Amino acid sequence: MRPLLNAVSALCLGGALVLSACNFEITNPNSPTEIGNGADAAHVAAAMEGMLIAARGDVPNWILKAAILGREGYRIDPADPRFVSELITAPKLDPSNGAFGGGQWVAEYAAIRSGYNVLNVIGTALISPEQQEGVSGFTQTLQAYAYMMVLFAHTEDSIPIDVNRPLTAPPAPFVTNTAAWDHVVSLLDSAKTHLLAAGGTFFFSLPPGLAGFDTPAGFLKLNRALLARADLYRASEFTCATCYDDALTALGESFVDTTASLDLGAYFDFSANSGDATNGLSQLPSSAINLVHTSLRDSLAVNGGSDNRYTAKITSRGGALCDPLAPARCSDLAWIRYPSISSPIPIIRNEELILIRAEANNNRTARNPAAAAADINFIRVHSGGLAANAALAGATQSAVEDEILIQRKYSLLYEGMRWVDMRRTGRIGQIIKDLPTDNVFSTLPVNSFEAQSRQ
Amino acid sequence: MSKRALFGMLAVILAVTLGARDALAQARMITGKVTSAQTGAPIARANVSVFGTVVVTLTNDQGEYSLSAPAGQVRVLVRAVGFKRRQVTVTADQQTADFALDQDVFNLEAVVVTGQATAVAQQNLANAVATIAPEALTRAPTPTIENAVQGKIPGALIQENSGAPGGGAQITLRGVSTINGSVNPLIVVDGMVISNDVIASNMNAVTAAAGGGNASNQDNAVNRLADLNPADVANVEVLKGASAAAIYGSEAANGVIIITTKRGQTGAPRFTMTQRFGQFRLANKLGQRRFTDSADAVSAFGHGAIVGPICRNGCPFYDFEQELYGLHTLSFETDGSISGGTDQTSYFISGLVKRDGGIAPNTGYDKQSIRANLDQLLGSRFHLSVSTQLIHSLANRGISNNDNTSTSPYLVFPFTPSFFNLEPNANGVYPFNPFPGNGSNPLQTLALLKNAEDVWRVLGTTKLRIDALTSGPHHLEFNIMGGLDYYEQQNDILSPPTLYFEPADGQPGTVVLGKGSDQRVNLVGSAIYNYAPASGSYSATTSAGFQYQDSHLNQTNAVGRTILAGQQNINQATTIVINQAQTPVRSAGLYAQEEVLALDQRLLVTGGVRADRSSVNGDTRKFFYFPKFSASYRFLTPVSGLDEVKIRGAFGQTGNPPLFGQKFTPEGTGVIGGLFGTVSGANAGSSDIKPERQTEMEGGFDATVGHEFATFSFTYYNKTITDLLLVARVAPSTGRTNRIFNGGKLRNLGQEIALSISPFRRPDLNWIARLTFSRNRSKVVELPVPAFNTGGFGTSLGAFRIEQGKSATQIVGTEGVVGDAEPKFQATGSSDLTWKRWNFGFLWDWKKGGDIINLTQLLYDAGSNSADQIPAGNQRITDWANGKTKIYVQDGSYLKLREVTLGYDLPESLVGHLFGGVRYARLNVSGRNLIRITPYKGLDPEVSNFGNQAIARNIDVAPFPPSRSFFFSIDLGF
Repeated sequence: MRPLLNAVSALCLGGALVLSACNFEITNPNSPTEIGNGADAAHVAAAMEGMLIAARGDVPNWILKAAILGREGYRIDPADPRFVSELITAPKLDPSNGAFGGGQWVAEYAAIRSGYNVLNVIGTALISPEQQEGVSGFTQTLQAYAYMMVLFAHTEDSIPIDVNRPLTAPPAPFVTNTAAWDHVVSLLDSAKTHLLAAGGTFFFSLPPGLAGFDTPAGFLKLNRALLARADLYRASEFTCATCYDDALTALGESFVDTTASLDLGAYFDFSANSGDATNGLSQLPSSAINLVHTSLRDSLAVNGGSDNRYTAKITSRGGALCDPLAPARCSDLAWIRYPSISSPIPIIRNEELILIRAEANNNRTARNPAAAAADINFIRVHSGGLAANAALAGATQSAVEDEILIQRKYSLLYEGMRWVDMRRTGRIGQIIKDLPTDNVFSTLPVNSFEAQSRQ
Repeated sequence: MSKRALFGMLAVILAVTLGARDALAQARMITGKVTSAQTGAPIARANVSVFGTVVVTLTNDQGEYSLSAPAGQVRVLVRAVGFKRRQVTVTADQQTADFALDQDVFNLEAVVVTGQATAVAQQNLANAVATIAPEALTRAPTPTIENAVQGKIPGALIQENSGAPGGGAQITLRGVSTINGSVNPLIVVDGMVISNDVIASNMNAVTAAAGGGNASNQDNAVNRLADLNPADVANVEVLKGASAAAIYGSEAANGVIIITTKRGQTGAPRFTMTQRFGQFRLANKLGQRRFTDSADAVSAFGHGAIVGPICRNGCPFYDFEQELYGLHTLSFETDGSISGGTDQTSYFISGLVKRDGGIAPNTGYDKQSIRANLDQLLGSRFHLSVSTQLIHSLANRGISNNDNTSTSPYLVFPFTPSFFNLEPNANGVYPFNPFPGNGSNPLQTLALLKNAEDVWRVLGTTKLRIDALTSGPHHLEFNIMGGLDYYEQQNDILSPPTLYFEPADGQPGTVVLGKGSDQRVNLVGSAIYNYAPASGSYSATTSAGFQYQDSHLNQTNAVGRTILAGQQNINQATTIVINQAQTPVRSAGLYAQEEVLALDQRLLVTGGVRADRSSVNGDTRKFFYFPKFSASYRFLTPVSGLDEVKIRGAFGQTGNPPLFGQKFTPEGTGVIGGLFGTVSGANAGSSDIKPERQTEMEGGFDATVGHEFATFSFTYYNKTITDLLLVARVAPSTGRTNRIFNGGKLRNLGQEIALSISPFRRPDLNWIARLTFSRNRSKVVELPVPAFNTGGFGTSLGAFRIEQGKSATQIVGTEGVVGDAEPKFQATGSSDLTWKRWNFGFLWDWKKGGDIINLTQLLYDAGSNSADQIPAGNQRITDWANGKTKIYVQDGSYLKLREVTLGYDLPESLVGHLFGGVRYARLNVSGRNLIRITPYKGLDPEVSNFGNQAIARNIDVAPFPPSRSFFFSIDLGF
């Protein structure tokens, strides 16, 4: 049986060749590997741009959803009725659907994770210690921004913050919103320390939307502006005696400036370039399906029937679009707040800072009504094209707050603030229901997968 | 594998071969004639051999043979396709031997592949392997080979994804076998594993069905099995589960489809020619709401200024579906082949030119193919087989399926009232459609939009068989096969800026250029040792071998936006977005198998094992083992009237490898303000990911009764899949959403029944009828993660939910479980009747149950525009809004007349008179899907918005509508 033995040896040889001659280790050609120890400057820089990309990811969704929840507008989409059925008419929000009830969670924590991926190895990166400080300050500021996005949408006291842990570890414990806001403030303060030690420049480039904030000193002003926003929120939503004062302190170190453009600020850029994201909130008015709630036109009366902010951000769509399931829900007004697919979306801008200052001055323990009135009237005149309201300086605290909310409504149209403002000032019940069966929600539920992972 | 290694191996095989010796005394001639026992007609090309030797010859056209046989008494064996074999003893002094062969109506003796390189007769087979003969494949012309096998494989659910020309269908064998793994059966053509991959067109750039970025599974893509030419196929065998397919190892969990192409045979050249003409017609419409007066119309659609004048004297009615999908373009198909050969060389060459006319403007499917199969005997031991095919196809598939931009016709019709005329005016200008907001007019869209998928494909295999040793009872052969499958696919989409919907995204005009290529190299080697002692008491076949595969799928796609009218090159666009995805995979397997046929060919016992390693596994060095074992025993005439009963049982394991990339944790990338950035990836890969493992046990019996009046076959199987590739949702606060791991357990239990009867087998009357029945029940036995939804658009619109203890294909809605996509059962009935010169055949395909999520109807109802809107549609949408998802999860049962044909063989005298040299001529009329009975309220119960899917098929969103076809054919043989 020599031939048979030969055959067996031939096959063994063939098999051995298959085992040895082929390289089966194929690396992933489709995406880079995660940043690790000893990363070079280019890799760290890409991770920094990535922080911005990650922080930007959910912003258009948030603005649209917050507009619907706060009845700044609707999305009446013939192909997808769920923007009404899930967010307005449903008896409760569905925490399992990330596009609706379960949103403002996954993308934000992914951004926070992107930050930790860098922070965990930054000490070994092949850049100078100053440059490392810059990376830490930049990253922590944007992590704080992502936490604020989560907190604006969630008030159920179920916020994980100790999330820098391995995937296999038990999920981070839930903490109260108060504690989570404290965490935001401490992140921003820690970032400040890093930025102060970061030298004169960042070693990585920043996009045009961060012009003026692209050095450690400049970026610190953005950091402080975000802190002012956080302090204002904490002051109004929780009991925090010093928060209004803290907001004023933070504003003092920010870029608030009544001699500068109201649009001065930091922005997320969008474009149609390869790899970039377009601003999905832009639309042609004539075929618009992201509509403005007609109450915004109706309530113009309080401003004398006309407002430059309204005309700049809202236009007629040339015919009403109605909810096929509820014809009473109609609008002929289209958003033009973001006119093109490359329109930037503000992270925070001067106009909001001036209004934060007005609110803090009106509500702080040592109330300063004159300063508040001055800032409000500055906005009325310069942003709305309205007459100054001389009576404001002598008005009651609550009357001034009402006026501030009206100004915030028009100044920050379609910037994701209306629903939050109504809630933090206890006015959620004033949100208009078009139909008696509509629902107004005060918070999004905790994403179901977050809840599930703890069961 | 390096070239040097290949040559080294060849050298070893040659050395083994040359070492073998055998001697054969050739002493005398035996002559005779082989005829059909039923008709007396001569059987050409029957194989006549002397048992236990390599002496073999073929009969000529008159059925005559002459054989040089060794001296002394010999046993002569005669075999012919379609007939039962016959063996007689020829004494030393006998000079002639005639044979009358019985027809093998149930293909009991057809040889079925059971190993990588070995085969056994159907009558011994221990598995229920479905085989499909070529006549059954080409009886009625079909767009692609998947259509051709529909209803012909018990236990297979074969469904088109839509009615778009050019294919796109899924073959699911014995139920759901994975949740996140590959769903494609392994396709083996002439021994080579070929690609059945999908390269999506990126119509998503226009429809934004998946957000408008990269190519999406909602693009209505074609899986590339569509490229094969059914007319080239000699045989299709379907190994449905692990017990039969184990020897194909870690890629065979979805079954194996083994396709053998036709080859030449010794004899004078023979030509065949088939010419077909026909057409496709819209098979079904949804209809639309009719309005009687303007008050109704305005209340439903607003736009009083437009509606008022149109409906002043009663609203007109325009049938949009008919206007758009009402074309009856001429379709044709020309098949030709030439085959023949000498003792040393044989050849089969075929060509195909076909065009399936589309039912909508700018749609249709063209295919051309050339195949050349060549066999050459080199000396007496080396047999070289070369098979090559060059295919070109061009599919214009229009625009369909889900969108978010009001572009897909069935997403515009629901919102456009039937009284609005969408037809162009005398100058050819299409009206702006004010109702969907962006002006989208589907008649304009299909008239001006281009969506072409152009594929060039080369399939080639070279196989060398070496009869190393034939000596007495020993036979040893080696096979080595190298194969290449390469295709290049180009997708051209042009959505010109003149289309009304184009400016809505702020970037008028979209052009997409997709270039994809898929390259697969196979190298297969095997040794087969057969021991058959002269006593004939048993025979044993030992085989072993290896298989190496290297594949590389490379997809690039460029999307340009904002282009001028008339421009179509990517570089003329204002903004350009480019994507690329690569899938390189290498794998290798080793196998060994032993088959023993004993007790006078009544007992067959098979055992084997396969070991596989692959680059997609976490540990690329580790071999995964997949064993198999099977046995069958035939009881000959156990009781009077029962010819034979075979009981059989089989056990086997196969795998389903991880998808490419499941072992990696990829970073996301993006750009902001011109700066490139990386972000944490959502999916956490697993560095120890391994193949899913399917264990199947199959048992059953086959019985033949009443002198082959009927056969009956029953099969029961239990298919369990463990180590499922599962995606665990992790706490999103970790920054990830998914973690991939192996776990869980899925089970399919099923039965398959086949009954064939052949009541008439006479020269002038022959009738065979077949009935099949199959049912499958899947169950998620263990699920180590919380129940989760897979596929669909969220619970309120119906979603598939994987839940422990429940069917794997259950559909849930707001109110809980609302359906199941799995059919209750499937049954087919077919008949072939030949009476004199006439032949009549049909095939009914019945699927009972299997629910479909009908979102197309939801869209019509939401648009207040269903044909039965008042009051039924209004009621449905109200019920849905009140939490009754069930309203739109509908029974997808159907009974379809898949095929019906009527043929007539022209008399030889007439044929000879009309066309000199023509052997036969046959006229044929055929139709496909002519009758369809279904309770389903959508366009067609064969639908899948997301293309081929493990679970989430049966979602109906604005599909391309179905068609039926009619063809007239003439077949000529020279």
